[in-house]
Amino acid sequence: MDNSRHDRNNRRMTFAPEPAPLLEARALAFLRQDEPVFGPLDFALRAGEVALVEGDNGSGKTTLMRVLTGMLRPGEGEVRLDGAAFSLDTMAGAVVFLGHHLGLKLDLSARENLRVSVGLYGQREGTSADAALAEVGLAGFEDEPVRRLSAGQKKRAALARLLLLPARVWLLDEPYANLDREGIALVNRLLEGHAGRGGAALVTSHGAVSFAGGEPRRIRLHA
Amino acid sequence: MTPGSTSAACAALLRRDLTLAWRRRGDIAMPVLYALIVATLFPFALGPEPALLARIAGGVVFVTVLLAVLLSLDNLFRADIEDGSMEQLMLAPQPLALLVGMKILAHWITSSLPLIVVAPLLAGMLKLPAPATPVLVFALVLATPLLSLLGAVLVALTAGSRRSGMLLALMLLPLCVPVVIFAAGAVAAAQEGLPWIAPIAWLGAGLAMAVVLAPLACAAALRIAMDT
Repeated sequence: MDNSRHDRNNRRMTFAPEPAPLLEARALAFLRQDEPVFGPLDFALRAGEVALVEGDNGSGKTTLMRVLTGMLRPGEGEVRLDGAAFSLDTMAGAVVFLGHHLGLKLDLSARENLRVSVGLYGQREGTSADAALAEVGLAGFEDEPVRRLSAGQKKRAALARLLLLPARVWLLDEPYANLDREGIALVNRLLEGHAGRGGAALVTSHGAVSFAGGEPRRIRLHA
Repeated sequence: MTPGSTSAACAALLRRDLTLAWRRRGDIAMPVLYALIVATLFPFALGPEPALLARIAGGVVFVTVLLAVLLSLDNLFRADIEDGSMEQLMLAPQPLALLVGMKILAHWITSSLPLIVVAPLLAGMLKLPAPATPVLVFALVLATPLLSLLGAVLVALTAGSRRSGMLLALMLLPLCVPVVIFAAGAVAAAQEGLPWIAPIAWLGAGLAMAVVLAPLACAAALRIAMDT
């Protein structure tokens, strides 16, 4: 198990108290029928940080994501959001999650899907659904039922949601799946923009990912 | 309404579910056709004797509507769970119970309301005396949301299992017995010219309780179903 972990950031000498990390895991572990799925895992994500969760198939990446959203109860340890203990009841809405199931209604258009998300989560200032769809390369497909879009376009429609919602923490489970080279660049661009706005993101991937702007933090899971 | 507020979230979800139902209007017609056909079978099976039909009309309409609602319930949460929308609802800042309540409301509007509209027609086919028909409709207005709410809890409980249709029927139908007794009792009383307000009041009391408790139970059950 990787015990060197990511303590470097915590060792910095500062006189003012450091702001609490946006997302923090302390000795986080998940057990299924007493078999550990992952962990124990410690990491902290600060504002402006993007971390990549790496691991082979079955190493618990998706499970980790579901624990971090609060949908799964961790077996041991705790998740803290903005310095406070996290649970679905208290902090929901601060996190936006993009999973294997995109959460798009196939009979609705991309624009209608976004309208539902904005109704539920609220909207970040200075954004609009059409601008977000243009940003992800779906200009001209706004009113097409999502059913008629390709797998990659569906993924892009789901990514547009990230741009619109005010959540500061993004949890992206395999955001690169189904995307072409340009789509991968798009995800990286979105992540950089989010980090630049003071957000934090945790991204899983089973493949090699190259960021344009510097190396991201890496969190390694073992099967 | 500011986006992200509770009222905006409820409106957005209600609008989404109604739009989805409207895009698949054929599915709305299905429970109605089912109820129509089942009600038509009774005169064929029992003989077209008006006195006999008038006597059973109220009960037949309620049982028929109950079965039609049951058929439509199965899909209440399944589509949302399968396409990931349920995860998005759970992570939204609003209480899940409230959002689930909105889904149940949308489901009632799209599946039960059409049944209430055709109920006088069914009652007429079965020779229910005209004065009893408004009582029948009134009883349905209270009984169908109660069925939807009770059913929703069970749908949420069985959401984890694959083939839940028959299981749902086995669990829901016993719970519906009081609803059927009070609703049919009100119509029978009206047919005999007796006061019918007491059974209706019981239905109303049950509905008031279910409106408060059922969404909470649904939300808890869905959390468990997603916790796998």
